[in-house]
Amino acid sequence: MDITAPTIFLTLVWGVVIGCVYILLATGLNIIFGVMKLVNFAHGQLLMISAFLTWTLSVSLGLNAYVAIFVSMIVVALLGVVVERFTFRKVLGTDKLNEIFVSLGLIYIFENIAMLIWGASSKQVLSPFYGMSASLPGLSITYDRIIAVFVVVGALAIFGLLLRKTKIGLAMRATSQRNTTAMLMGINVQKVYMFTFAIGAALAAVAGGLYGIIYPFDYQVGALPTIIAFAIIIMGGLGSIKGAIIGGLLYGITEQMATLFLGGTWGSAVAFALLIVVLIIRPIGIFGEKGE
Amino acid sequence: MHLKQSLITLLHSKDFLFIIAFFAILAFVPILVQDNFFLTVMTLITIFAIYAASWNFLANSGQGSLGHAVFLGIGGFASAIIGSSISKAAVSFLGTTQMPVGGLSVAILILALLIGGLLSAGVGLLIGLACTRLKTWYLAMVTFGFSVIAATLSSQFNSITQGIDGYATTTLVTKGYPFYLMVVLFALTSISIMFFIMKSRMGLAFRAIHGNEAEAKMIGINTAKYKLIAFVISTFFAGIAGGLNAYFIRLIDNSVFSPANSFLPLIMSVIGGLGTVAGPIIGSIFFVSIQQISTLPSVVDSLNGALGAYFPNVSNVGPPLSLLVIGVILIVIVIFAPKGLISLFHKIYKYLMSEEKPKKVKIK
Repeated sequence: MDITAPTIFLTLVWGVVIGCVYILLATGLNIIFGVMKLVNFAHGQLLMISAFLTWTLSVSLGLNAYVAIFVSMIVVALLGVVVERFTFRKVLGTDKLNEIFVSLGLIYIFENIAMLIWGASSKQVLSPFYGMSASLPGLSITYDRIIAVFVVVGALAIFGLLLRKTKIGLAMRATSQRNTTAMLMGINVQKVYMFTFAIGAALAAVAGGLYGIIYPFDYQVGALPTIIAFAIIIMGGLGSIKGAIIGGLLYGITEQMATLFLGGTWGSAVAFALLIVVLIIRPIGIFGEKGE
Repeated sequence: MHLKQSLITLLHSKDFLFIIAFFAILAFVPILVQDNFFLTVMTLITIFAIYAASWNFLANSGQGSLGHAVFLGIGGFASAIIGSSISKAAVSFLGTTQMPVGGLSVAILILALLIGGLLSAGVGLLIGLACTRLKTWYLAMVTFGFSVIAATLSSQFNSITQGIDGYATTTLVTKGYPFYLMVVLFALTSISIMFFIMKSRMGLAFRAIHGNEAEAKMIGINTAKYKLIAFVISTFFAGIAGGLNAYFIRLIDNSVFSPANSFLPLIMSVIGGLGTVAGPIIGSIFFVSIQQISTLPSVVDSLNGALGAYFPNVSNVGPPLSLLVIGVILIVIVIFAPKGLISLFHKIYKYLMSEEKPKKVKIK
């Protein structure tokens, strides 16, 4: 591809789109970390499961892909509840490393179940807007990518309202500050944990559906996005939503620009190099605060 | 003086004798069981025991790496390339058409493996320097980031590494039992050295850092220096394991840098028992056995016969099923026996011993 002004602009847009998907994943990871102080390395596998569910729903039931994302979001949120109840709850409060080990176990379980059910071949969700794109002078952007950005903004807005305006959101914020005090205030912390995990899983599910529409995916697709989402959170500062949004856009744009200027294989390498540089200069992330 | 004394205490320690005895048995078992598949499994177990032990060694100093595959890969590529170029030079010097397998070729292989380990440790030094200020998640992310970068670089410099199609190694030691014996010797040496360091004053410093870095610093331990030393030693042995792995499968490609390979030593150490000497070995036995048994033709046939109808999208249900089982076992172990399989063995041992005690009282 020739590097011209329109291509650079287009790459910028692509960076914003993929950045938005990462932001959604990162926000889910971030809220789980903020409230439960838990790092779920299997978060990207929820994205993968959701992409497959969206695919199955839209292919075998003939659902509209965007409706399928909604259904898959509910299913994955329930899956999140089950995962929280039977694995993470058992190790919460023990050694921090145990959480990483449990999530690695979950990665193996999710990936191989997905492989058993859907096989190893790569798939892509067919959206009703397939092949249609908005034309601007010198470039065209597919509708799906534009919709993805709006879906992400909408999901984040709903999430923000939930956190700020509802009772459960208040309970989540209280628990994230100090769970023991929250307990004394009559908050059922266990219930809050379960709800938080479900919300995080639902956000990952939306990200998964959008990912499945924009990119082809297979059962191994989850590993890299988890790490990227995690890198974004760290880059922005753990627990900071604003940091996650800026980190996500920065990462997405860097990745796409590196792909444009240096070639496909460099995308994630350059983006990770950026992460490493940020952390070496500022080990707590751009918006991180001292302490946690 | 100090070194000599700690060597003496080491030679007298029960654990060390256990390691020696274990590897002695390991070396002779394949003679009794003359079976190619068994030999393959044993070789893989021994190679990955070194790899898992090197990760465990690093974890012992409080640094959990999620990118150890970098060093498995660097060790593998470096020793494969160096071994090939030295043997090419030797072939032109000897005037033969092919490298004769013998004393010289074994020496070349050992040299290539050591250089591979050193190169891996050199890269480990650089990465370690970047990581000394980082902790827990941050460290995990940065090490993982390096594994992504390593995969990109090796495909970028494909003319040297041939990482896309795979770099075929030169045969320097007869495959089968002779190669296995060499792997066992390397494992014995590597694990003994790591054990020795863990028991020395330096190991004490590592454990102090693992326990509480701020406190370790306060009592005068140069934490940055010791963390770096741990990184270099660990990556050296991971590189050795990588070299052995490359020469065993006789081909090394970019897939060596995969996240799965980075998670492998962690899972093995946790299943076996984190922070112990025997843990990574037990974990390796467990993991490799399950994985390899699931590829046996008879097992594959019976699994496909029983379950194939339920999973029409998969041609072979064995490998995903075995990994699924490993995932479940990992979670069960973390929840119910967080100190790994070795703690279960201890419990069983204690239980058996405690039953005998009342009997002794009766006799009295």
